[in-house]
Amino acid sequence: MRHIRSLVALSAFCAVGAPMAQQAPAEEPGWAKGRPKTETAQKMAPVPAFPVPTPADQLPVKKFKLPPGFKAEVWASGVLDARGLRQGEKGNIFVSSLFVANKVYVIPEKGKREAKVIIDKMPLATGIEIHKGSLYLATNTKIMRYDNVEDNLDKLGEPKVLYDKLPGGTDHSWKYLRIRGDKLYYAVGAPCNICDPGEWAKIFRMNLDGSGVETVASGVRNTVGFDFEPKTGRLWFTDNGRDWFSEELPNDELNVVTQPGKQHFGYPFCHQGNIPDAEFGWGKSCAEYAKPAALLGPHAGSLGLKFYTGKMFPAKYQGAMFIARHGPWNRTRKYADIQVARPDGKGGARLETFMTGFVENNNYLGRPVDFLVMKDGSLLVSDDHAGAIYRISYSGK
Amino acid sequence: MRGLARFALCALTLMSLAGSAGAQTKPRSTGKAAGVPAPANPYPQHFAALCAACHGANGRSDMPGTPVLAGQHSFYAITQLFLFREGRRSNEAMTAVAKTMSDADLRGFSEFIGTLPPVPAPAPATPPDAARMKKGRELAQLHKCLFCHGPDLSGGQQVPRIGGQREDYLQMSLQEFKSGKRPGYTMAMTEAVSQLNPEELETLAYYAAHFPGATASGK
Repeated sequence: MRHIRSLVALSAFCAVGAPMAQQAPAEEPGWAKGRPKTETAQKMAPVPAFPVPTPADQLPVKKFKLPPGFKAEVWASGVLDARGLRQGEKGNIFVSSLFVANKVYVIPEKGKREAKVIIDKMPLATGIEIHKGSLYLATNTKIMRYDNVEDNLDKLGEPKVLYDKLPGGTDHSWKYLRIRGDKLYYAVGAPCNICDPGEWAKIFRMNLDGSGVETVASGVRNTVGFDFEPKTGRLWFTDNGRDWFSEELPNDELNVVTQPGKQHFGYPFCHQGNIPDAEFGWGKSCAEYAKPAALLGPHAGSLGLKFYTGKMFPAKYQGAMFIARHGPWNRTRKYADIQVARPDGKGGARLETFMTGFVENNNYLGRPVDFLVMKDGSLLVSDDHAGAIYRISYSGK
Repeated sequence: MRGLARFALCALTLMSLAGSAGAQTKPRSTGKAAGVPAPANPYPQHFAALCAACHGANGRSDMPGTPVLAGQHSFYAITQLFLFREGRRSNEAMTAVAKTMSDADLRGFSEFIGTLPPVPAPAPATPPDAARMKKGRELAQLHKCLFCHGPDLSGGQQVPRIGGQREDYLQMSLQEFKSGKRPGYTMAMTEAVSQLNPEELETLAYYAAHFPGATASGK
């Protein structure tokens, strides 16, 4: 699932529990919980983004395959570790990153599309959202707000800290943000591959001043992409399934919240709506939990999710959502692509492959992360592996 | 100490060489002109000029405190060069070198390092201390070293090969992880060694450096 779920970075000897008087066996890293002892599985570990962007002339745009009439081009290159995408009211594109770059960039909408660093040395500066001139930024420990950002791009100044009670850590701890109806939505994932997540593994929302935290959905292992369906206002989210169950199972889930605060989506008891966990599933039934709207593939690393709200693409994309499958780190055969999911009106969704070409000879050439619908209706896609942003447009030709 | 003096000299040479090598390689990072055949890979020569004095021509360093690069993974190598260049891993000589490198240089050097086959450590004058090796093996298992570095300590991708690495370099690295001086992308290694006392860190370094199969004396 999330390819760097526990940031091995330079790798760990172990993740250590509470100090002990006598040497007890150290705990394994969270991502390694449940890893089989077979040689193939033992060689797999989370992989960080490549620390050097792919040069512009070597980006895989010519390998991308799209439905007829669509075209992909390089919109910006040299954006190390490009993750989240959001646009300011004045047109600037904001790009977040994870722990390789530790930065937030801004790229002008028009003119020379060079990424300018506006926030630096900020570990896990991944969750971003723009609202009424302010940039909301969530790391693994706190949520901050920078006001009037587009007029202060040379010097953002100190942020106002809205909330500093996030649990931190490295497993499923980085953020994805959306704002709707003066509420800020975020999630805190499970602090491991598979474990009792305690008070976490939930999507939350809060008032824009950081007060009034409430639960939106429970039993959510790790969502790094969600958006609101324009027609119904319902929250749809991707959820990364557990690791090490098998190569082909379980699938990541596409879920929809129909009763905010009341639904439990299964983790750690039930996976993909119909597989009780081998350990935590005892005494539980999958019938107790909300079913996924669609299955997104095994260890798919399903990340960004965005409903298409532009006018450029054909009518059948209106009301459809784009989903970035970043691709597995813990599956022998790699895959990564962009899917389109269309709500079927009965609580489910139908999937269709939209864009492929990110994998060659079982190696990643690029890995899609997040989306932005531009004012002209074209779609930007970030790629943290290649450090690039692509623009997808439709001309019908 | 002769070794230290040699190291200092080496570091200086390295820093002075760094400027010129960086300057030579920069134009290549901007892409090649149309119709001009791609030049042969220049990085074996760049490695010989810039890295070999300290790290050894075959990547097996005999310089105190200088890591063996032979058998190291290119992903690990590029990550370290990146961290040196960013000032996120601190070593005066290596930061000075890395600061001169373009993105293309980082790729070129690390890809070449990734092609260097492992070179066993020279056979020790006396066999490794069996009691220390046993203790080291126990510590490695207890502290889950093998979870990332593999049962044969050969690492993979961004995880370094530590079997057969220089003992003094391993000692220094473990101490720097423990003190937080060397964070990596995250504090994962710092957390990993937080329970170990200095003597245990030395035992682990001894064990990995003398790992069976990683020295010329064989298994």
